[in-house]
Amino acid sequence: MTSFDVIVIGAGHAGVEAAYAAARLGCSVGLCTLSRDTVAHMPCNPAVGGTAKGHLVREIDALGGLMGRAIDATGIQFKLLNRSRGPAVWSPRAQADKRQYSAWVSKALQRQPKISWLIGKAARPEVKHGRVAGLVMDDGTHYGCRALVVTTGTFLNGLIHIGPERRPAGRHNEPPSHELAESLRSFGFDIGRLKTGTPPRLHRDSIDFERAVREGHFVEERGDSVPQPFSFSTTSGLRNQITCWLLHTTERVHDLVREHIDQSPLYNGQIQGIGPRYCPSLEDKVMRFPERERHQIYLEPEGVDVDEIYVNGFSMSLPRDVQELLVRALPGLQDAVVLRPGYAVEYDFVQPTELRSSLETHRVQGLFLAGQINGTSGYEEAAAQGLVVGANAALAVLGKEPLVLGRDEAYIGVMVDDLITRGCLEPYRMFTSRAEHRLLLRIDNADLRLTPLGYRIGLTDRDEWARFSARQDRHSRNTRTLERTLVRTEEGARISASERLRRPGIVLEGLIASGEVHLEFEDVSRSLEVASIENDVKYAGYLRRERASAERTRRQDRKRVPDLFDYARVPGLSREVVQRFSQVRPETVGQASRIPGVTPAAVAVLAAFLERSAFSEADRA
Amino acid sequence: MFSTDDSIVAVATPPGRGGIGVVRISGPESRRIAEAMLTRREPLEARMATFTRVAAKSTDVIDEVVATYFPAPRSYTGEDVVEISAHGNPVVLQAIVVRALEIGARLAEPGEFTLRAFLNGKRDLIQAEAVADLIAAATPMQARVACDQLEGTLTGQISEIDAELFSLIASLEASLDFPDEGYHFIQPAETSRRVAVVVGKIDALLSAARRGRVIREGATVVVVGRPNVGKSSIFNLLVGSDRAIVAAVAGTTRDLISEQVDLDGLAVTLVDTAGAREATDEIEREGIARAERASGIATLLLIVLDGSQPLSRDDEQLLGRTSDRSSIVVTNKADLPAAFEREGGVSVSARTGAGAEDLRRAIVRSLTGEESLRDSAALSNVRHIELLTQAHTRLVAAQRLVDIGDTPEEFVLADLQAARAHLEEIVGARTSESLLHHIFDKFCIGK
Ligand SMILES: Nc1nc2c(ncn2[C@@H]2O[C@H](COP(=O)(O)OP(=O)(O)OP(=O)(O)O)[C@@H](O)[C@H]2O)c(=O)[nH]1
Ligand SMILES: [Mg+2]
Repeated sequence: MTSFDVIVIGAGHAGVEAAYAAARLGCSVGLCTLSRDTVAHMPCNPAVGGTAKGHLVREIDALGGLMGRAIDATGIQFKLLNRSRGPAVWSPRAQADKRQYSAWVSKALQRQPKISWLIGKAARPEVKHGRVAGLVMDDGTHYGCRALVVTTGTFLNGLIHIGPERRPAGRHNEPPSHELAESLRSFGFDIGRLKTGTPPRLHRDSIDFERAVREGHFVEERGDSVPQPFSFSTTSGLRNQITCWLLHTTERVHDLVREHIDQSPLYNGQIQGIGPRYCPSLEDKVMRFPERERHQIYLEPEGVDVDEIYVNGFSMSLPRDVQELLVRALPGLQDAVVLRPGYAVEYDFVQPTELRSSLETHRVQGLFLAGQINGTSGYEEAAAQGLVVGANAALAVLGKEPLVLGRDEAYIGVMVDDLITRGCLEPYRMFTSRAEHRLLLRIDNADLRLTPLGYRIGLTDRDEWARFSARQDRHSRNTRTLERTLVRTEEGARISASERLRRPGIVLEGLIASGEVHLEFEDVSRSLEVASIENDVKYAGYLRRERASAERTRRQDRKRVPDLFDYARVPGLSREVVQRFSQVRPETVGQASRIPGVTPAAVAVLAAFLERSAFSEADRA
Repeated sequence: MFSTDDSIVAVATPPGRGGIGVVRISGPESRRIAEAMLTRREPLEARMATFTRVAAKSTDVIDEVVATYFPAPRSYTGEDVVEISAHGNPVVLQAIVVRALEIGARLAEPGEFTLRAFLNGKRDLIQAEAVADLIAAATPMQARVACDQLEGTLTGQISEIDAELFSLIASLEASLDFPDEGYHFIQPAETSRRVAVVVGKIDALLSAARRGRVIREGATVVVVGRPNVGKSSIFNLLVGSDRAIVAAVAGTTRDLISEQVDLDGLAVTLVDTAGAREATDEIEREGIARAERASGIATLLLIVLDGSQPLSRDDEQLLGRTSDRSSIVVTNKADLPAAFEREGGVSVSARTGAGAEDLRRAIVRSLTGEESLRDSAALSNVRHIELLTQAHTRLVAAQRLVDIGDTPEEFVLADLQAARAHLEEIVGARTSESLLHHIFDKFCIGK
């Protein structure tokens, strides 16, 4: 029997990062996928990043992951969102050439000698004495492994809806996994059902873009004139190669939706799963917000020489013919040809409260879950979990402490903590407002925050580390220069440049341009590095306050709850609280305090009880 | 999170009764906090009662106290504890508590000393019944709020303010998280205006604070006047028993005498004092000095005149000295022929009891204003005031940033979110999840 340290099921955005991270830590990895053609596939919109998601990508990159480099290499239009706001909420977004993206990732994995491809359909994990021992494929093949990572996206009991049509499928034209779903169920996991959707794809040649622009139906959307990379290692080569188009729905479209609403599986009871409210279907937009006269639609090419045009903002599950009707009712799309209809897909997910902070399940040792199976949506959320899970599967095999990021350290930390503590009621997407220490978690400092951590456990290689060290030194030198350089104020006083920078209306670019201070930057990352330093100096007070508040939370997060702790032993806790604790099995007092429905004093009692029993155990020893 | 490692303070003895009250400070900082408020410069010694004074900055009260430091773990709570025994007057005790808060203590929630005692193994939870409520309450404040109707109204008002702030924050957060939605969630001018509205409402609540504190904590009403005008007689009349010695000798009352009385549901601490005149001996001099200090901190003064005697220079001086204080002039001995005519005030006879009801009503009206007690939401404890004040500070900071205009929204939001956190310590916290709910319900978001 062939054996691996780690087997990863699924080669989507979570799976590929997991395999890559585990391999980087020196583990032998089996990567199980139905086909090599759909590696890091983008079944939904052909884009990476966006608010908070862009942060996740920067963090993945800072920890040696693939996504940032992949999108820089295959992106065809780049934008930095929120540019008019502060650097804490700047977020990169890019359109991807989805074929090239997939090919790039595939190649990166092939270059990694520790990864073997297991082409086929996974059937069930093999579990012995409560711990993972291997994987059984549906053709009966056995593989041994010490850690098993499941990243099956929407494939668990996937069911696609297009009007009255219902088809078991994980994605367009791909079979779902029933057996795997059933085997997970048999371990006793709390399993729920979610729904997501995708819009129709149109044929590029059936749209006369120039005319639609001329007639005022479409507005061209271009990338930034100076594209910003996602990856800290990208030094050049970013190119905007395409245009996207913005248009709007009309009353006529809304009327058509209302007219056909009974044919929507979302509105006639055919769909049970809960969909994401931040990504409403066209049906929801029209029915829930009748006062809105129009909604935005973006037409996005799925690649440089790909025929498909993605109709962003137009996801729906209405019947094929109605979809065609609706598309052609959009201004400028009267002749559009629908290549593929939009659809809704329902799928099983495992309540992430089943997971530890390492994303290993509480129930089965060595079994790790990442991505949509944990109730999240989005490539970036999946990839970020994949990275964590791959590292942790490897660290578990190596007998080392898991990689757990704090809520004040990374968006990844916020996401994992939210998932395992609160569970999911709807697909989980990252937002900057979920990060209470947002001011500390910027895209410009993702590497300063995380790369040293990644290097310590082996996620970052020597070359990357050398580059990072240079950048870190440059950053501290620049900060020091600002403190030491004296500049003149309007009143003629001489003060340090950093003090000057704290005054309203003074910007660092101004001090540089006037020759008052001399700092060093790398060309491609210049504007981010400038922002980084300026932000740290200008808002030092806010950042200090933020760090202090983070430290208060940290103190609680350092108090550990033992594995398999029996909450019923704690006097004074109500039955409901004991039940909540037992479901979530918090690993720290801090996590316990974030569980919904748990009172502050209950947490204090738990903390004190743990402290006292720790004392008495120490006495006994 | 309910913090268990900071320092907390509260009056530890039941209100009213008894001549001595104890303020307890517990936690790692308790000794530093106590030493900072005591006039004695030497450090407190463990388990030694130290006679000294408390200097309370905010009200200028200086009172003699006995301070005792109990190092952990041999203390009531098992932590470092300082107990300050002072004169039982609630106002004095409150002033000591306020001073401790200024130096860095946090006001203890009801049952919190006991909770800590339990947490440190000093007590069985079953014994500590007060703790059960605390554990059940979602926020520390709720434990207190549940038991008081008045506070319910107050919490309602803070809730409304919080909801307004929350919805403003939601709009701002939406514009950060959904920058390409094609519509602006909120403009700076609108932000500034809405912050101003919230600031205004908090201002109103804070200015109601004084009245509210009267309602919750009771007022101190101090009886003053020249010797022998019948102060002690009036004190006894209001108390309903012969608590103070009454005698025809001028200078009978030497020290402060205080008693808790209930006037129409209002808890009032009534204080009888030594008559104001040139003292004849050391004890009387000290008594008069104390009378002056007591009148200095009084919520309301009852200035007693003897109606059967013409007004003396002492009377005139007293009236002049107290003209800017909230006071009621009480003309006593109405059973005897009047020696002068005087507009306003209340006329009573301590001997016959005539006018007693008028006097009671006048006191209540003067303490509470014209509003009916039951409907007015008011800030009822120092903790509320403290939290509202903090929220206020952060909101004002936020507004300044908005008005200056060159600070990115996320910093404005940092201030607004901090303000919200302060309010929600009173009314119960909302999560980032509920923020997103609010955004999705209100706006059509997403592609
Ligand atoms: N006729 C009459 N005598 C009164 C009345 N009230 C008090 N007295 C008498 O006045 C005298 C002084 O009364 P106290 O109540 O001791 O006066 P005080 O203001 O407390 O005096 P000091 O404590 O000495 O300052 C006593 O003899 C009382 O009996 C009253 O309403 N009518
Ligand atoms: Mg007297």
